[in-house]
Amino acid sequence: MNHRRSTEPHVTRRFSLSRMRRTPLSRAMVRATTAVGAVVGLGSCATNAAQDTWQPKGPNAKMIDDLQQPIFAVAGIIGIIVFAAVSYAIWRFKDRGQPIPEQTHGKPALEITLTVIPALILAVVGVFTFRVIFDLAKTDDTELVINVTGQQWWWEYDYPAQNEWGITQPIITSGQLVMPVGTKVLLRETSRDVIHSYWIPALNGKRDAVPGRIHTLRLEADEPGIYAGQCTEFCGLSHANMRMEAVALSKEDFATWVANQQAAYQSPAEGTLAKEGESVFLNQCVRCHQVDGLKRPDGSLAIAAPDENVWSGAAPNLTNLMTRNTFAGAMFDLLRDACRDDVWNAESAEFGAKYLAGVDEACLNVNDLRAWLRNAPEVKPMYANPALLADTNGKYRGMPNLGLSESDIDKLVAYLLTLK
Amino acid sequence: MFKVGSKLFLGTTGFAAVNLVAYLIFVERLAIGGVALSMLFAALIGVSAAVLMINDGDDETQPRDTALTRASMWPLIAAVGLVLLVLGLVVSQLYFIFGGIVLVAALAEWMVQAWSETASDDPAHNEFARRRLLHPIEFPVIATLGLGVVIFSFSRIMLAISKNAGTVAFMVLSALVLAVGSMFAIRPALKPALVSGICVIGAVGIVAGGIAGTGAGLRPQLAEAAAEDHFSHRECGPEKAKYFDKKAMKTLSLRSNVAAVIELRDGKLTADVYGFTRPQQQVSVPRANPVTFIFRNFDSAERRMVAYLGTAAAAMPVDGEMAGKHGDTNETCTQLIPQGAEQALTITYNKPSIAQDNDKPFTLTVAGLEGQAIEVVVP
Repeated sequence: MNHRRSTEPHVTRRFSLSRMRRTPLSRAMVRATTAVGAVVGLGSCATNAAQDTWQPKGPNAKMIDDLQQPIFAVAGIIGIIVFAAVSYAIWRFKDRGQPIPEQTHGKPALEITLTVIPALILAVVGVFTFRVIFDLAKTDDTELVINVTGQQWWWEYDYPAQNEWGITQPIITSGQLVMPVGTKVLLRETSRDVIHSYWIPALNGKRDAVPGRIHTLRLEADEPGIYAGQCTEFCGLSHANMRMEAVALSKEDFATWVANQQAAYQSPAEGTLAKEGESVFLNQCVRCHQVDGLKRPDGSLAIAAPDENVWSGAAPNLTNLMTRNTFAGAMFDLLRDACRDDVWNAESAEFGAKYLAGVDEACLNVNDLRAWLRNAPEVKPMYANPALLADTNGKYRGMPNLGLSESDIDKLVAYLLTLK
Repeated sequence: MFKVGSKLFLGTTGFAAVNLVAYLIFVERLAIGGVALSMLFAALIGVSAAVLMINDGDDETQPRDTALTRASMWPLIAAVGLVLLVLGLVVSQLYFIFGGIVLVAALAEWMVQAWSETASDDPAHNEFARRRLLHPIEFPVIATLGLGVVIFSFSRIMLAISKNAGTVAFMVLSALVLAVGSMFAIRPALKPALVSGICVIGAVGIVAGGIAGTGAGLRPQLAEAAAEDHFSHRECGPEKAKYFDKKAMKTLSLRSNVAAVIELRDGKLTADVYGFTRPQQQVSVPRANPVTFIFRNFDSAERRMVAYLGTAAAAMPVDGEMAGKHGDTNETCTQLIPQGAEQALTITYNKPSIAQDNDKPFTLTVAGLEGQAIEVVVP
């Protein structure tokens, strides 16, 4: 059946792409798209990207990498072929006023071919993908279990008692996940408030932490070092600041770390600034932050009550804070830049000793820590304005401004430095 | 250049911009609302640009309809929605949400009707265009709301009448539905008004019954069972309770949100914790987060698992009532379940283990079974 260009009103209503392309607005949009594409393209060329998905540092991430490299190549080739074909068709058959060509009702042989080929490609990809998925879901070879709980906007890690690792009582920490190298670690993830997603690109893919559910994720690192990660499920104002770091130590260093985490609390000596800081901590911080072993002046244990003050019901346990390198959900470093670089860039053999040295006064990133203590919501976006807490029954999401004096901050910094 | 559609979307974009600026200045610069309004503003810019680029999708050669538009009820309904919306700001979130839904629905209907009335010179075609666009949305929504009201009303009737009467009512109603449906099928020539009348009378009857049932309240057995506190039971001894232990559920579909599976086998209690290859005598759970334990009874006697919740009001079962409310015994438990059965218990531990007396940690035990306990550690 032959068709000719109709002059009827409903036909002339057609939207013309060729006409649109000539407008100034269209040209501006093309330029903007090109500029954005160029920025994204150039940005992907960074060589020192700590969260590069193409640089696996453990067997689980390598499994994913071994799968994604060939798939990316195949998809890239197919993409180029399709774009070339579409571009040719657009250029070759663009509207030049020619008559509409003869219309046919399909070509079965061509359609079957174009269905079967992608199906075969997807089937092959599917076989290898499913194999990797099942391998990554294995849990029966687990050597160390760590519970991971996400909340706005930090990660809590607790290590259940596991005598084979010297963990005789649960260890609780935050910001940095510490694990032994060459060990199959199983994370049991959940969340206290909204959905988060745990992702250390160098060690494995991402896994959602969902309230009311327990999801598992395998991690294993080949070499000692620090591996950076990022929450990858939008979880509120400071989602972009919800970072994490996995610290891999040799098994001997890990045993040292475990022993230190289980050591009894040492109160600062009487008459020191740190002792005064302990009092400030007991008056202000212990409402939410637990320090295991800390006692009130009457001798009773100081028990934090984040369940009464924080919407998620939890705040970071600060026992042994200065054995970590980060604070405030790993948004800030506890180490000055030079000391931090010294740890991050250490050779494998030296890394453990440098990390286990913790944070001392010379290396403390005192500026960020003081700014945090002075007014936390000013340096990290949080729902911590007391006037806007009606929806959360007066509970904070994040750390509020405590209105500490500079003198109190001096004392607190001195006290926190003793938590090693 | 600027036609009706362009003006509408440009105006809306400007309004969104004003809202965004006002929000950032007067409410809170970093609140999530600011993010949402920014995204709305950006989306509207995109829509406005698209509308401008396609010239409102209008063809200037098409003659415009000059006939007067019909009267519309949608402005009135939109006004009611707006009033509810504003009232909801003061009175209740429920009013606010309902008002918002009514307002958005009325504005959508109004816009489509206004568009359809000028789509062509033919009013019949215009009405067809409106129905084509909106009926696929209107019919399912109205049917869902109508059925929801009828089903809710019927549930109120069933809760108010006795169990035997409920059985009879269910049988009579289902027989009536079958008979009337068969009649409609056998006699397709029935007048639509008659069919509609029968359906409306049936629906109104059920709704009226539901209102009466709500007024009458729960039947005595249900009221008594509720008073026994079905779901936060504190009488956790080995004896059988009259209502709480009646028809215990024997199997669970729950599998993915389990802190540990507690098994009673050969008089010994063990915890199977996902990730650990060997049975455990201790379970570590996060503080201030609901955790679920599954209890499996392989003992020949009927057993229930009891969770000791601490010396202080440290934990609460999943129903939200504070532990200890029903007396000094600060515990919660599963039903008595027979051999081979399983039940779940969900608990939130708000205080850490160090807040408990050393000799009385959080535990999971089995009523009537001495010397067996799983310790729950809350770091």
